[in-house]
Amino acid sequence: MATEAARRSRPPARLALGQVRYQLMLLLRSPLGLFLSIVFPLLLLVCLKVIAPSHPVDRLPYAQWVTPAMCAFCLLNACYVTVITSMVLAREEGTLKRLRGTPLPAWAYLAGRLGSAFVTSVLACGVIIATGAAFFNVSIIWRTFGYFAAAAFLGIACFFLIGAAVTTVVPKTETALPIAFGTMLPLAFISGVFFHVSNPPTWLQDLASAFPVAPVARAMEASFSPATQSWPMPLSGLLVVLGWSTAAIVVITLAFRWEPGPAPAARGLGRSPRWLNRAQRHDQMPI
Amino acid sequence: MRGEPDSRAPAIVVAGLRKDYGKVRAVDGVSFQVQRGEIYALLGPNGAGKTSTLEILEGHRRRSGGSVRVLGFDPGTGDRRFRERVGIVLQSGGMDAELTVREMVALFAGFYVRPRDVAETIEQVGLAGQRRARVRTLSGGQARRLDLALALIGDPEVLFLDEPTTGFDPNARRGAWDMIAGLRRSGITVLLTSHYLDEVQQLADRVGVMSHGHMVEESTPRELGGRDVSGTVISFRLPAQLRGSEPPAGPWDQPAGPEGEFTMHTDEPTRVLLALTQWACAQHAELPGLTVTRPSLEDAYLRITGQAGIGAGHGD
Repeated sequence: MATEAARRSRPPARLALGQVRYQLMLLLRSPLGLFLSIVFPLLLLVCLKVIAPSHPVDRLPYAQWVTPAMCAFCLLNACYVTVITSMVLAREEGTLKRLRGTPLPAWAYLAGRLGSAFVTSVLACGVIIATGAAFFNVSIIWRTFGYFAAAAFLGIACFFLIGAAVTTVVPKTETALPIAFGTMLPLAFISGVFFHVSNPPTWLQDLASAFPVAPVARAMEASFSPATQSWPMPLSGLLVVLGWSTAAIVVITLAFRWEPGPAPAARGLGRSPRWLNRAQRHDQMPI
Repeated sequence: MRGEPDSRAPAIVVAGLRKDYGKVRAVDGVSFQVQRGEIYALLGPNGAGKTSTLEILEGHRRRSGGSVRVLGFDPGTGDRRFRERVGIVLQSGGMDAELTVREMVALFAGFYVRPRDVAETIEQVGLAGQRRARVRTLSGGQARRLDLALALIGDPEVLFLDEPTTGFDPNARRGAWDMIAGLRRSGITVLLTSHYLDEVQQLADRVGVMSHGHMVEESTPRELGGRDVSGTVISFRLPAQLRGSEPPAGPWDQPAGPEGEFTMHTDEPTRVLLALTQWACAQHAELPGLTVTRPSLEDAYLRITGQAGIGAGHGD
């Protein structure tokens, strides 16, 4: 019966939207997330512009190149770093366990996280582009702006999924930030987010193109170039992004944990071997 | 849902429950039932398997064997309809420090089909004055009240409470006890764990004592360990006029000196007292210092867990 089904649970869209609102509220009240996602990339944009090489990059004025690059950096912070730190914190503080005991479905929680990462990313990109346009003479090329948005959407989804997957291997709150930055920053460097790598060694290029940051960042950068005529992400890049996203979904499905910290199996039973922790984690797997 | 044909069936049925962590068997063949509207306490020292049992019933943990039904559901399948109807109070944590009390309760209300009224629930747990306060500013006792509000907001039929007053000062404990006792009137079924005997005595209709993964005894707090009849201690002194005579219904532990006390541990206090007082009355004598003492719940508990080969208070 429809009425019976309706009584059993809240409408999915309302649950998900409620979670987006909840996550945004948390973000607004914890300055770290906002700082990382918006203020930090903005500072970098200004600093890089000030110390920028005067010669053009890829026949473009430097600001025209670095503005979309900083947008890509925004996505990495909002969807990867912030997701890892805040989700590990939520798990370790017992928030996830508490939510698990309510009728809120797991997907609604993750949708809330993704939604808030999306809103933050759009805001951050808006601030960066507006700053570039207002102060650094950056011109938005509306003809290719759709490519920029599409590449950004792909990046948001992919970085978020990888971030959520990475939380499964982060053991505790203190290690979340080092792991997040320790993986993101080197990748951002070799993927041409901070400066344009001209004629990189082949191995570095191969390494960078095995990860999803480079295709997303390059597509976003190219969308700000008047020379770009068509969809700027090569098929190989798109496959890398989709491949990483799929792998992340598999990891999340198999290993996402709701329980805090050292596997609860160890509680009251003294030290337990690692394999036992893993068994317990599997125990807690359902999502 | 309330008013279903099975509303007379027990709220919780546990049969032969087992939980293994690797080679360690934390819960070993535990069986018990909790009737609707009953407050049932799992009592035992740390490491007895109480929390594992509770978390299996909550759906937080999977069982290794046996069968478990809560309101007819298998909690292991994590059915949302099941989670609509139970409330869980965790041992600690899990609240967003930067949200206010009202925001937190309203957020959780949004998860349920038919939540209770937010303001009313906050008032019921005694946090009306703190509803605009950020969670991080709450005291330990207030945080536990919020915890209870979050568990109650979905209007649950079964409430799980894991050590509801651990770490409380005596005042806060009283407050928590009053709140839990207040739930009894609403007809909610409560399963709680505790290692405090006085808490169980205050709150529970029935108690299951766990030790090393086994259920070693199940009774009412009053009858725990058969203490309402067994092991009663009777003692008195002999008045001067009766010195040298032998009291009836013995054998009695003889006093050290003429002023000393006769004592006896007996499972038949009524019979012994009748014989003793009849004997004294017939001699027109008063027995100075006559006392009848029942062992405390503490004694009974130590005896029960001791019989199972384990002392209380060990482990982590």
